[in-house]
Amino acid sequence: MRYCETGELHLDFHGATNTTINYIAKNFSEEALHEIFFAVGQKVYKSIHKKLQHGDASELIEHWQYFFTREKGKFQIEETPEAIILEVSECPAVRQLLKLGLAPSPLFCTQTIMVNKALCENTPFESQTEITGCGQCRQTIKRRGVK
Amino acid sequence: MIPSDHFVRFYNEVFKFLDRQGDGALEKYYLEISRHQEIHCLELFKTKGLQGMHDYWEHIRIEENCDLSLDLQPDSLTLTMNKCPSLTKAMDNDAGLCLKYCDHCPGWIVPLLKKAGYDCRYDIIDRQIPRCQIKITAISIMPILKICHSDTPSVGEKQESLIC
Repeated sequence: MRYCETGELHLDFHGATNTTINYIAKNFSEEALHEIFFAVGQKVYKSIHKKLQHGDASELIEHWQYFFTREKGKFQIEETPEAIILEVSECPAVRQLLKLGLAPSPLFCTQTIMVNKALCENTPFESQTEITGCGQCRQTIKRRGVK
Repeated sequence: MIPSDHFVRFYNEVFKFLDRQGDGALEKYYLEISRHQEIHCLELFKTKGLQGMHDYWEHIRIEENCDLSLDLQPDSLTLTMNKCPSLTKAMDNDAGLCLKYCDHCPGWIVPLLKKAGYDCRYDIIDRQIPRCQIKITAISIMPILKICHSDTPSVGEKQESLIC
């Protein structure tokens, strides 16, 4: 895995992400946010993106497993030959916003939706991110053409 | 979710985007971050002064895994960042570093300290070396000392200074 941080966590960064999302959407546009998150998905996570281009989702699975565990999220990952499904029942980022007394931006989950889309662009995979509740979602990465 | 560990790499992309927009977009964003940071710091800095700032950055030192020295004196606080984890991560990044990355720190810290009644001398040192130094002092309630000379003193003449 390309990035594998250890040591202490500074979870308040989720608050800064929330502020930034609101700021960019208000002062620029939602498209501007998409542009930034696409850069994160394809440039920062270049290694995951490249592997997906070769049909290999292993680093994405490892990334989810590592960081959701590290931030003590409640989640489950299911792998089938056709798809990988990340079921989040308690998102650590949303949990931290609530702890800080911050209202999650209506666009807060755009980070997940757009980064997943960017990761899957020009790969044999497609992404689907369903928000199933506050701090809850289902992220599906499935092989294109599979119903 | 972008993990909190990867926030700085996201931040780095935000800086690149804003820098491309021009018209002071980056500096305006720093002020927004400064307002956001008031939630965590302003009351603490106002009520507990340099000790409060010391406590805040001590907490940051631990949570953000900083190699940071804090020197608290009765009239100043000096933070010496020996290895900034934020710039280190932004540099350890397949997306490449925004060369204005370091500017966000004084961009939020200086306005916030001013609101709390403090001045700050910020030495970034080098934008591609993860070291910097900040010296914080209370804003003097005395008029600013300015040395005024009517003429350049000649050799041996005692140089006089005036409070202007």
